[in-house]
Amino acid sequence: MARVYVSSVINGRSDRVWARVRDFNGLPNWHPAIGESRIEGGEPADKIGCVRDFRLRNGDRIREKLLGLSDYEMFCTYSILESPMGVENYVATLRLTPVTDGDSTFVEWTAEFDCAPDREAELIASIGGAVFQGGFDALKRAFGG
Amino acid sequence: MPRIVKSTVINAPTDRVWNVLRDFNGHDRWHPAVATSAIERSQPSDKIGCVRRFKLADGGELREQLLALSDLEQSFSYCLLDTPIPLFNYVAHVRLLPVTDGDRTFWHWECRFTTRAGEEARLVDMVGEQIYQAGFDAVRKHLSEAA
Repeated sequence: MARVYVSSVINGRSDRVWARVRDFNGLPNWHPAIGESRIEGGEPADKIGCVRDFRLRNGDRIREKLLGLSDYEMFCTYSILESPMGVENYVATLRLTPVTDGDSTFVEWTAEFDCAPDREAELIASIGGAVFQGGFDALKRAFGG
Repeated sequence: MPRIVKSTVINAPTDRVWNVLRDFNGHDRWHPAVATSAIERSQPSDKIGCVRRFKLADGGELREQLLALSDLEQSFSYCLLDTPIPLFNYVAHVRLLPVTDGDRTFWHWECRFTTRAGEEARLVDMVGEQIYQAGFDAVRKHLSEAA
């Protein structure tokens, strides 16, 4: 099983960063790689089990299921149902933790998945880079550093 | 039950910060509140269950026991056994997490304890500021001097 771990520090209070990322249907509002998103079946975006169907700016379509969401612990866990990436058993978690020393936020994004062995390094690099670090870079810009 | 959570980001890789923190008998080398530290019964400072005896800078003494230590997770837990301060059932956890963006360290330090009625706010402030926040600042200084 392959594992990706990317973490960063966002220069904003954790409740403000959480308000930006908690919407499971809101990726296009903050992630530069995502073009459009909708929740299937008209369900609320914070209903556990809901499915988001979104398109990357490159045209790829991905469907993901919300497995866990906690406003108290500030994390969101989801799995991939359908994607062109060639991954199986993909589960990811985005987690926020306050940095009390200054008003900033420690953000972690992890994923575990199975894939063909010869594609593992490439997938770890692209998921960790363009998707996770790319999202963090956008948050850093939005919160001024 | 009062709970204290403090966290900071240190501008150094986790291995360097862990190298300073993992020595349960080494806090006198960096924490300004600790004058001397010794492990009782000559036990190694990474033996689970060992007890450290601190002489504080203000002359007080306290004893703390190592409950858990993990080099894999870069974390440790300890409890207070004897203290001149009315902190009862005090258990603290320290853990380090890598900030991959910039090869830095997120340091999380938390505890729970009980105390006499009316003492909570004073002790939360004292431990949070004079022990935890002062510890963050001291390790930051210690690492910059060692660099």
